[in-house]
Amino acid sequence: MNHDLSNSKSQTSTHLTVPIWIIALMLTLIFLGGVYFDHHSGWFDAKVYGPYQSAGQLAAYQPLSGEAAIVAHGKQVYEINCGTCHGPDGMGMPGKAPPLAGSEWVNAKGFHRLVEIPQLGLNGTITVKGQPMNFPTGMAAVGSAMSDADLAAILTYIRASWGNNADAVTADDVKAVRASVGGHHAIDGDVELKTIPE
Amino acid sequence: MNVNENKISVSEIDASCRVPLLALFGGAALWLVIGLALSIVASLTFHKPDMFANCAWLTYGRVQPAANDLILYGFCIPAALGVMLWIFARLSQIPIVLPLLPIVAANIWHLGVVVGTLVILSGNSTGFLWLEYGRGAFVLLLCAFFLFAISAFATFGARHHRELHVSHWFLIAALLWFPWIYAAANFFLVICPVRGVAQAVIDWWFANNLIFVWLALVGIGAAFYFLPKFAGRPLHNHYLALFAFWTLIIFGTWCGIPQGAPVPAWLPAASTVASALLIIPLIAIAKISVKTVYGANTQCKGGPFCYIKFGTAAFILSSLMLIAQACPHFSRVVGFTWFGPAQTQFQLLGFFAIVILGGFYELMLRVMGCELPYPKFVRVQHWLFIAGLVLLVGSLAVAGIVQGMKLENPKIAFDDVSSATLIAFRFSTTGQLLLLLGSFLFAANIFVMTARWKFGLLKSGWKALNAPLQASEVKS
Repeated sequence: MNHDLSNSKSQTSTHLTVPIWIIALMLTLIFLGGVYFDHHSGWFDAKVYGPYQSAGQLAAYQPLSGEAAIVAHGKQVYEINCGTCHGPDGMGMPGKAPPLAGSEWVNAKGFHRLVEIPQLGLNGTITVKGQPMNFPTGMAAVGSAMSDADLAAILTYIRASWGNNADAVTADDVKAVRASVGGHHAIDGDVELKTIPE
Repeated sequence: MNVNENKISVSEIDASCRVPLLALFGGAALWLVIGLALSIVASLTFHKPDMFANCAWLTYGRVQPAANDLILYGFCIPAALGVMLWIFARLSQIPIVLPLLPIVAANIWHLGVVVGTLVILSGNSTGFLWLEYGRGAFVLLLCAFFLFAISAFATFGARHHRELHVSHWFLIAALLWFPWIYAAANFFLVICPVRGVAQAVIDWWFANNLIFVWLALVGIGAAFYFLPKFAGRPLHNHYLALFAFWTLIIFGTWCGIPQGAPVPAWLPAASTVASALLIIPLIAIAKISVKTVYGANTQCKGGPFCYIKFGTAAFILSSLMLIAQACPHFSRVVGFTWFGPAQTQFQLLGFFAIVILGGFYELMLRVMGCELPYPKFVRVQHWLFIAGLVLLVGSLAVAGIVQGMKLENPKIAFDDVSSATLIAFRFSTTGQLLLLLGSFLFAANIFVMTARWKFGLLKSGWKALNAPLQASEVKS
């Protein structure tokens, strides 16, 4: 054992360069660590606790109340029952259904006509945004089997989405309109629709 | 610098460390024995839960933290300070500057440990992991550390050889690190407590910085001093050591927040990333140690060289356990099991205590200028410690993994999961007994050595008193 006092630098440690692979490994790990952090950290949000990973994920699990809850429920029911023809974006589909986004029928002040269309169905020509449209299959009475609350939620949702801005429709509103509906045949286009009060 | 120019001999430097080191090691040896004995008392509770039921002082909740703190604050830190002081004096090539300070510091430190242990055993612990001692002991320990650091820095500042040794970086960082973390954690948790979630975060931060970072700085710093000495060749690669040093303290300080902790998700996420990055300094330290030692002609034969080699290997292994614990999938299994305590015990006793004991056996003969009273005990203690650690750490780690997997299975009742770990406890308690036996050998060596030295002093003093007066001193 060498216990002499001469601790000159060349004797206490060798001076080779640091191997490049360990630096490359470190940089790779820092990169992967960054990716992991990006996915799991919630980006320093003080409200995001494990096992949740981001503020968005957390928001999706939050119970909603008031109109927000109705809109969220309406979106769900809309996408199952209406979205296949009117489109999840409310833009309609050529040959199947007219657009709801920006439609004057949807944005109307009153909601009577809007309740009656799904309740009774619709055939013939309908004019939307100044364009007369005709759909060979028409619209079946898809809403007649829905509960008041579901139909109200759908209507509230379409009246508040895609740039539309009209008042919410409550389940009581729907119930009242349904009670007043007399006929049981599909509405015949613009012409008949306009006879229904707004 | 020419060695012949200064008249200070190696033995003079070593002799200057004698009293401070005896003060630091003497108390440390006593605390190690008591700490290990208390940890056996704590684990006996698992074998026979009503054994100490009528004695509040010996219940698990008090004895367990008291034992852990005695091993850490009683043994590890003062013994490490002793080794550190000797390395500073040797590297500076001068006797200790202000030698009175470390002696005073050692006594205040040991007093602090007595106060803290009584606080815990009497049921007044703060309840924070590794900070159970409370205010009184905190002030004493911090003052002692400052006094010690003044002497250590003065010795460092007066060094003859201006260039720094690799160990200098690690040990000086440790001298600055401890007062910072210890004062900050005590201030925010004990003196002027913060509220809510921050308490747990601060405590985890402190525990990790003390148990992982501080112990690594001192243990590896000492190993990087001793390994080249034993191997009789220079330390492999100065720059790789520099790289290891910086990556260790930069990544190491972020670890310690467990996965699934009830804190904002970014804290455990950052901790996990930092733990994964710890693999970099580990590779560097392993490479340095292996390249320095591998192929050296020195036989270790259970002597100090063996201690330091084993300790360095244990550092790598226990740190790998730490990294595994931070890995999300693995931590889901071993969280809240015996795996965590196994890792901590491995870090404290397997790595740190062994490295420091190796340093102690190497330097003590030189400091005292005589052989150890029982040189064979060194080798026996080495094997006792290794066997004890394998039993203690191995059984608890395996028990932890098994326990974790059973906990994930909803068909197994909680009671069955717990009672299934009993077999592991039989092994781990046996391991603790072996460790206690080993610590007796260490204590025997240092106490007999101290007693002989004091007896020698008395004898020479008595001789001087009774010596006939010189003719020149007699007035006519």
